Amino acid sequence: MLSVENLHIRFRTGDGMVHAVNDVSFEVGAGRQIAVVGESGSGKSQIALAIMGLLAKNAEVEGRIMWNGQDLLAASNREMNRIRAREIGIVFQDPMSSLNPYMTIERQLTEIVEYHEGLSRRDARARALQVMDAVRISDAKARLRAYPHEFSGGMRQRIVIAMALMCQPKLILADEPTTALDVTVQAQIMQLLADVQRDLGTSVVLITHDLGVVAGFCEEVVVLYGGRIMEEAETIALFDQPTHPYTRGLLSAVPNIKDPSDALTAIPGSPPNQHRFPQACPFAPRCVDAVDICRDTLPALRQGRACLRPVEELT
Amino acid sequence: MLNYTLRRLLMVVPTLLILVIFAFYLMRLAPGGPFTSERPLPPAVMANVLERYGMDEPLHVQLWTYVSNIVCCFDFGPSFSQKDRSVNDVIAQGFPVTLTYGFWSAVFVLLLGVPLGIIAALRHNGFWDYTMTGLAIFSQIFPNFVLAPLLVLLFTLSWGLLPGGGWNGGQWQYIVMPAIALGTSYMASVARLTRGSMLEVLGSPYIRTARAKGLPERTIILRHALKPALLPTLTYMGPVFVYMITGSVFVDVFFSTGGIGQDFINGAYSRDYAILLGLAILYAVLTFVLTLMVDLLYAWIDPKVRAGLS
Repeated sequence: MLSVENLHIRFRTGDGMVHAVNDVSFEVGAGRQIAVVGESGSGKSQIALAIMGLLAKNAEVEGRIMWNGQDLLAASNREMNRIRAREIGIVFQDPMSSLNPYMTIERQLTEIVEYHEGLSRRDARARALQVMDAVRISDAKARLRAYPHEFSGGMRQRIVIAMALMCQPKLILADEPTTALDVTVQAQIMQLLADVQRDLGTSVVLITHDLGVVAGFCEEVVVLYGGRIMEEAETIALFDQPTHPYTRGLLSAVPNIKDPSDALTAIPGSPPNQHRFPQACPFAPRCVDAVDICRDTLPALRQGRACLRPVEELT
Repeated sequence: MLNYTLRRLLMVVPTLLILVIFAFYLMRLAPGGPFTSERPLPPAVMANVLERYGMDEPLHVQLWTYVSNIVCCFDFGPSFSQKDRSVNDVIAQGFPVTLTYGFWSAVFVLLLGVPLGIIAALRHNGFWDYTMTGLAIFSQIFPNFVLAPLLVLLFTLSWGLLPGGGWNGGQWQYIVMPAIALGTSYMASVARLTRGSMLEVLGSPYIRTARAKGLPERTIILRHALKPALLPTLTYMGPVFVYMITGSVFVDVFFSTGGIGQDFINGAYSRDYAILLGLAILYAVLTFVLTLMVDLLYAWIDPKVRAGLS
């Protein structure tokens, strides 16, 4: 349904090019849930923006993003407007700032279907109530007239999700949907996304830095580092037997509640400078298993892993 | 909201009182008076004149008479420098003039400045952006005493389209040039302000959300971005509007419109206490009303402010 093929995203900045995403490919089938995991600066959010055609003006894109046979990177803004919200919805990271503070919730919901489906104000309102019900906002009727500042963070994120659901899109991109929220609210929002996904059969691309969130929700994981895919696997396999040193590092950085003696390990070093297109494995400087070859050869993605060392030789 | 408005209006009274007391004593502190001249009047004549205007009384009695006359009869007293005219006459004659061309000037400022700013923001770093910014800077550094003669040169002397001055009961031909001369530099400021805030709003996450909804650009600008982008302009226009409808000395003198802008300066030269106080009160009341209107408009645009008011 969606296939991202050899996607490169670069930004022209004051001090040169920044290679945010390098040669990333993955596919999302109908009804599937894929997680794109990476630390901040790994380019994961830019992939979502590229799919929506909302990259900043100083971005250069290469590759293809195929959506049901159409290349979204080649589509005009007009063509994109027929796909945005109607076929692909997006849930942004920060519900505090992604709702328009000067418009009522009602208007922000109804305008979507009024424009895309030509609904009357009344029908649009009915749809809004229905969707608010689906994202479990109680007393929806009264809340339609409210403004964003009258809601808590969790409620606002429900509204953002409701906005993404208004046209019942086939794919939802969730860009760190729980990062800005309290832990208890995080769980509710993830549960909500899971329910919506199950009820509507929507595909979801979940973009996150939180492997804990991924475990309960997604079938497949793409691990990004320095704008490149490090590992790509089914969630269960990835958690059971991570084959890339970076994934292993990430997993051991998640605290294990069953074994309190298990010390929390951090991955040493900091994320790479992306001013130059990588000539070697971007993770090599921080990798415990790196050998000489890792520092001058760029590993290709083979059988779901981009690592020059055989799995058996890893520590 | 109504509650808030009433409270604000009630505040006018004590504030005005304080303003009057301050202005009254400050003027008297300044050396000279309305009847001092190079050749002093004979003492007997001077005494007569002072009595005629009630200036022989102690200051606090004069102040009391002044304030009570305003409160009971809305009478701001006689002008000291213009014989047989009261301050009420002067304001009644001059204020409608400046109110008229000032109002149209403000309309010109908003109708031209806001769209220019928006277009420049939408064509950020493009041809129209640079053209607009250039024009804005140009007209901002272009003082009205250069602009006004230039307008007269073109519209009156070269093309004979508009009268070069006068008022003639406020026919539109007589309003155009004063309004443009008064407004051009403000128009430039408004264009730049609007451009800046529009750019900021267009970069905000909620506009990205609106784009992700697949709405057409026009809807995004008009429905989502315009209101917040106008907030700085609104704040700016409050005091500027007061300044505009009370006119400018230069415009009044150059176009012989007979507005109150020139009365203020003449009043200051001739130490016409009554005119100065009367105009100061007029300015204060207008400032009050306009800032209140700006605040109410703010509340209308921004629901958070509205919630804070009620």
